[in-house]
Amino acid sequence: MLGDVLLITEKHQKAGEAIIEHILKKQKSKMMIAISGESGSGKTELAHVVAKGLRKHGIMAKLLHIDNYYRIHPLERTEWRKQNGIQNVVGPGEYDWETLNKNIKEFKAGTSSTGPCVDLVTEQIDQLTTDYSGIDMLIIDGLYAIKTADADVRVFIELTYHETKKAQVVRGKEPQNEYRMQVLEKEHQEVQALKPTANILIGMDYSVRFVK
Amino acid sequence: MLNDRITVTPKHEQAADVVLEFLADKMKPKFIITIGGEVGSGKSTLAYALAHKLKKQGVRSKIVDLDDFYKIPPLQRKEWRRANGIESVGPSEYDWGKIIHVINDFYENQKSLMPCVDLITDYVDEITTNFNDIDIIIINGLYATKIEQADLRIFIELTYDETKEAQIFGDKEEMTAFRKQILEREHEMVQGLKHGCDLFFDFDALVDKYHL
Repeated sequence: MLGDVLLITEKHQKAGEAIIEHILKKQKSKMMIAISGESGSGKTELAHVVAKGLRKHGIMAKLLHIDNYYRIHPLERTEWRKQNGIQNVVGPGEYDWETLNKNIKEFKAGTSSTGPCVDLVTEQIDQLTTDYSGIDMLIIDGLYAIKTADADVRVFIELTYHETKKAQVVRGKEPQNEYRMQVLEKEHQEVQALKPTANILIGMDYSVRFVK
Repeated sequence: MLNDRITVTPKHEQAADVVLEFLADKMKPKFIITIGGEVGSGKSTLAYALAHKLKKQGVRSKIVDLDDFYKIPPLQRKEWRRANGIESVGPSEYDWGKIIHVINDFYENQKSLMPCVDLITDYVDEITTNFNDIDIIIINGLYATKIEQADLRIFIELTYDETKEAQIFGDKEEMTAFRKQILEREHEMVQGLKHGCDLFFDFDALVDKYHL
């Protein structure tokens, strides 16, 4: 994603350190870490902190933002959702899992890989080509990231949009209106359904809990 | 540039407003804005603030960061500079052939292939973008104002001495004696490009104000 604004704070750093410790314990080649949570819950910030921290341990981690993989173009998405009904279409089905899984395969194989990369300024979808030969780990973040098949570590941030509405406004990513609220509510239901599959839970206060 | 951390402050917003005002009667199709200045002076932040304001006016601009266009990739650059001496630091470190190529693609409304550094891995990815719907490119970088095709040249006056803190807290690079030497050399090279610029900003690192 190009032109994204991150608000990294102490809480992300602290939670990130605990996750890194866990990753180092379970370390294996071509490891995959997935981070799920609702819009504005701090997924990307946490992913950023973890990737940076791993680098200090000599581990090269690449971030993969699932928001790059929406099937409907950013400029057409609102219209498309309204036409098809928010209840019917908002959810994991909005993403191009085929391309995402192809890019994950390329990471595992250590080959060159091309995938979509949204520029938030131009609202165009660029194509990003990465050489995965030197990349040790993949950190996938997105609403439904922990749905990704064979993720080795599945992190779930428990903050819901009710608590982060404020953060959304600060970020100025999307206008707050009735439509947006309906989308957030549907996403909320879809994301929360994935919670039982997580093995690390990040609490409302960003405390880290490990679950079997 | 992937995974860059940008913090827009009121002074950047105000500066962007000044640029917009300046642009009002000068705009033409396929417009090029360059932003030059030293490391950490706020070039990419101004580019970002400006691009967002243009977007609100319905003008589509693409940010091009010349840090992506070094001939020697980030992981090898320090060693290369040591081997080639401090005199090797300067505009000739850029791959000008590639930069010109991107400018031509922009003028010709074509698809364009650009290098794109991932600031977490320090590897150089490749971005394919389509310039067809892009009205303005905002090129920022130490030596960006060297670009002859520019329609508007902006120079940020903050010197590396004043941004020391930004250096430390920006966590992009850690300060060593060699790094200081490089900053001093870049300072000379960048300040040499000041003449011929159209707009000058002096963001004080500590005071949240701008002056023309």
